[in-house]
Amino acid sequence: MKKAADMLLRWFCKEDHYLDISGDLEELHWINENNYSRRRAEWHYLADVLLLLRLSLIKQINLAPQSFDMIFNYFKISARNLSHHKFFTFINVSGLAIGLAAFMLLNEYIRFEKSYDRFFSQSDQIYRLTTDQVRDGVIGVRDAMSFNPSGQVIAEQVPEIIGYTCTYKFGELVFRNSGMTQNERGVIAADSNYFQLFDYEVLQGNIETALDNPFSLVLSQSKAKEFFGNENPLGQRMEILSGFEQTFEVTAVIRDVPENTHYSFDMIMSIHTIKEALERDGWGGYNYYTYLLAQEGADLDAIQDKLPPLSDFLGEETDLVFHLQPLQSIHLYSDFTYEPQIHGSAESIRFLTIIAVFVLVMAWINYINLSTARAVDRAKEVGLRKVVGAHKQQLITQFLTEALLVNLMGALLALILAELSLPFFNSMMEKVIMEHVWQSPVFMFQLVIFFILGTLTTGFYPALVLSRFRPVAVLKGKFRHSKTGVALRKGLVVVQFTISLALIAGTLVVTKQVQHMRSIDKGFNAEQVVGFRNPRVQQDLRDALQTKLLSFYETLRQQEAIIAAASISNVPGGGSSDISSASGGVRIAGLTETVRTTIYLQDYDENAIATLDLQMLAGRNFDKDLAIDSSAVIINESMVDLLGFKDINQVVGQRLQFGTDPGNDKYPIIGVIKNYNRTTLKRPVEPTAFFYDPTNGNSVVKLKESRFDEGVEALEATWAQFFPDTPLDLAFLDKRFENLYKEDRRFGKAFGAFSLLALAVALLGLLGLTYFISAQRTKEVGVRKVLGASISEIIFMFFKDFLTVIGLAAIIGVPTIYFVMSSWLEGYAFRISFPWEILALSLLAISAFALGTVALQTHKVAKLNPAKTLKYE
Amino acid sequence: MKKYQIGEFEEIVLLTVGVLYDEAYGVAIKHEIQRRLERKVSVGALQSALRRLEGKGFLTSRQGEANPMRGGKPKRFFNITAFGKQALEYNRDARKSLWDDIPHVAWQIK
Repeated sequence: MKKAADMLLRWFCKEDHYLDISGDLEELHWINENNYSRRRAEWHYLADVLLLLRLSLIKQINLAPQSFDMIFNYFKISARNLSHHKFFTFINVSGLAIGLAAFMLLNEYIRFEKSYDRFFSQSDQIYRLTTDQVRDGVIGVRDAMSFNPSGQVIAEQVPEIIGYTCTYKFGELVFRNSGMTQNERGVIAADSNYFQLFDYEVLQGNIETALDNPFSLVLSQSKAKEFFGNENPLGQRMEILSGFEQTFEVTAVIRDVPENTHYSFDMIMSIHTIKEALERDGWGGYNYYTYLLAQEGADLDAIQDKLPPLSDFLGEETDLVFHLQPLQSIHLYSDFTYEPQIHGSAESIRFLTIIAVFVLVMAWINYINLSTARAVDRAKEVGLRKVVGAHKQQLITQFLTEALLVNLMGALLALILAELSLPFFNSMMEKVIMEHVWQSPVFMFQLVIFFILGTLTTGFYPALVLSRFRPVAVLKGKFRHSKTGVALRKGLVVVQFTISLALIAGTLVVTKQVQHMRSIDKGFNAEQVVGFRNPRVQQDLRDALQTKLLSFYETLRQQEAIIAAASISNVPGGGSSDISSASGGVRIAGLTETVRTTIYLQDYDENAIATLDLQMLAGRNFDKDLAIDSSAVIINESMVDLLGFKDINQVVGQRLQFGTDPGNDKYPIIGVIKNYNRTTLKRPVEPTAFFYDPTNGNSVVKLKESRFDEGVEALEATWAQFFPDTPLDLAFLDKRFENLYKEDRRFGKAFGAFSLLALAVALLGLLGLTYFISAQRTKEVGVRKVLGASISEIIFMFFKDFLTVIGLAAIIGVPTIYFVMSSWLEGYAFRISFPWEILALSLLAISAFALGTVALQTHKVAKLNPAKTLKYE
Repeated sequence: MKKYQIGEFEEIVLLTVGVLYDEAYGVAIKHEIQRRLERKVSVGALQSALRRLEGKGFLTSRQGEANPMRGGKPKRFFNITAFGKQALEYNRDARKSLWDDIPHVAWQIK
């Protein structure tokens, strides 16, 4: 690339400036190469060269004495030529416009995804402290959270760490605001250090002390407006019902948190408010997000090595290890348990990048193919021009000017297309990437860059080919396509077919996988059941709430449209972090070795299994009348496998023990239930132990089929009767699962839509190509008909060419698709086996489209009367 | 300022060439401006400014030595001419007299 850029510079730069300017560039490149990656340095070089395209540095164009007239002439001839061949112009301009618009929009989206968490001024120095489980050097469960005192001890022990903050993310809190209650999901707790690391713009209040006192609250601008309208929010008091005994005071207002951060929130409360929980958890539970600030230029690996072992603090041997993640890579690369929100995927970004490049390349190939295919038509023009004295250089300029005009029209149209399709694009990506294309300077800059690049890429080769013709030969009519020219064109068509094949097959595979995850039997009844969160109260009111909940369930069960109601700790369809877990190891007392991995814990009442239609494989359900059941446990199949039992019946009656201490409690296993998916099917079913608790944080209610509305109404009425203060936020379980696949669906949609565009461009090109080829072979067809060939024979003759092309594309494409898509499917625990039938279908579709186009075009030529086509021979 | 046509960026480049005295070549000038003014300078913008200034007679240049870091290509060093100095002085004086004539009240900006 650097070499090409240098050639370009040598070509356009004034000769007496070239040497020292390119010397400067070399020197800068040398410096860049030492500081950045090689690729980045080369891009820099190219950008610098392109920025050197300035009037005062460009060579005088002195091809002909009257140079301005000549330039004007180039444009005039080009315009004339393009308007003469409207079909050619149409195919190229529309192809380039679609290609460029799609490429630019995807590019913008990719840039947005890559921009996550980069807007903080120290973002390259911030790391998230996470907790890895490492056993025998093998990394097991990786958790995004850490122990709450860890930030402080690391800052004390590691000199490179100069700041830290500890935060806690609440699931959902109920706020009371002028008599109305409302649920708020975006609340975190943090200490005052938070704003030293994350420098959000402060609109009101003193941010340095805003979070020092318990019960202080920092609001985002829009939340402040929502709660207090135009009043001054500072000093206002707010009530949070979820178990806090005091009201909160608003101490600062910050600008809204932008969308491109992995840890977004609307409100921050002082973490001192939950001091008791902090002290209780201490080195016992890692439920906090900790961020560290390193010195400028500090090396991640060096810091990582200096992190103390966690056993220093836990007071016992542990397989937990501190781990650091650069802030900027969290959104795309981190896939730990307990991520604070749905994250992006570097893999989908890679796929989309490839598609973006493909779309553009398709359009460029079209131009090259069509212009060289037209070479025959223009051979005479070139010959004649040469005879009357045109230089080769002038001809090259002529053809480049044509490429420039076509690319220019394409770029302008692309701008309009991109702007018009922006609303659809934003809604498809479910993010507002930008409002108008011209608001993004990068977008406009790149459009210009790729317009220039496109002109050069598409213009050069055809210009060289066309200007090379020898006038004596072509004017005599002895013109033949050069063999390499034909081979190149065929090669490019093969590339187009391969890409099309890959895109169709890829889209179908992605769609099928997403469908598979949605339709797979999750092991419980998702359609008829709604889930919701129970009210939360302060410690001293807890007993009252429990009694109230029990009679609430009792009342629900008496409703006609409600089949069952149960209390449950985790409503199915939650996020991967939405559950408690134990990672101290687990074993069957006296029978098995301790298995050290994460075990998930849920609490059920005696009705939960029936409400969710879960299947008991062995043993029995909880019984509220048996006192022993308060310490009994039910496990799932996945847990049985984990413990290494073949026969589930053997497990029932054994006793489950957590941790390594033989003195720990032992829980009798009373039953085994069939696996069901609590969270996304990307992950395998969690090995889970279910404990008995008659009242939990959430409820599930099974409604009578075909009487959903009635059931929901009854539920709402009963709720209002029991808990008038708390809003009811219910969701059908299948809807909850749909939400989990939002990211996959979005990826599937984007993949599909842009593949379709690439395909459209390729088809357009094919249409043009067959049009020119068949037109050129009109006379040959005429002769064949005279000699007795039928129309179908002639069409088949054309087919043969394309069949080899499709065959080659299949040979290259099929293995590539197989490897790429298989490895993509590996990322899903519940995946389809590689769908060969889809590949066959895609191949068939491509062939049908291609041959259909060919048949359409050649039929026109084949049915012509040879008497007419051969009239002039 | 009709007498000495010189733009804002050109003036900065010219001054920087002066600052660097005998060491003023492309990369050095670029880095000096970036360091002092904290603004990004593209090679293109800088080179075209340098050539324009040379064309107007504010700068002269001579070829320097080559080194392997530069792919064996020579440096081009720039020096301010007497005419360039006049232009700078003219600009400075014109600004100075404008500054001096701003009445004090104008600075009572809230």
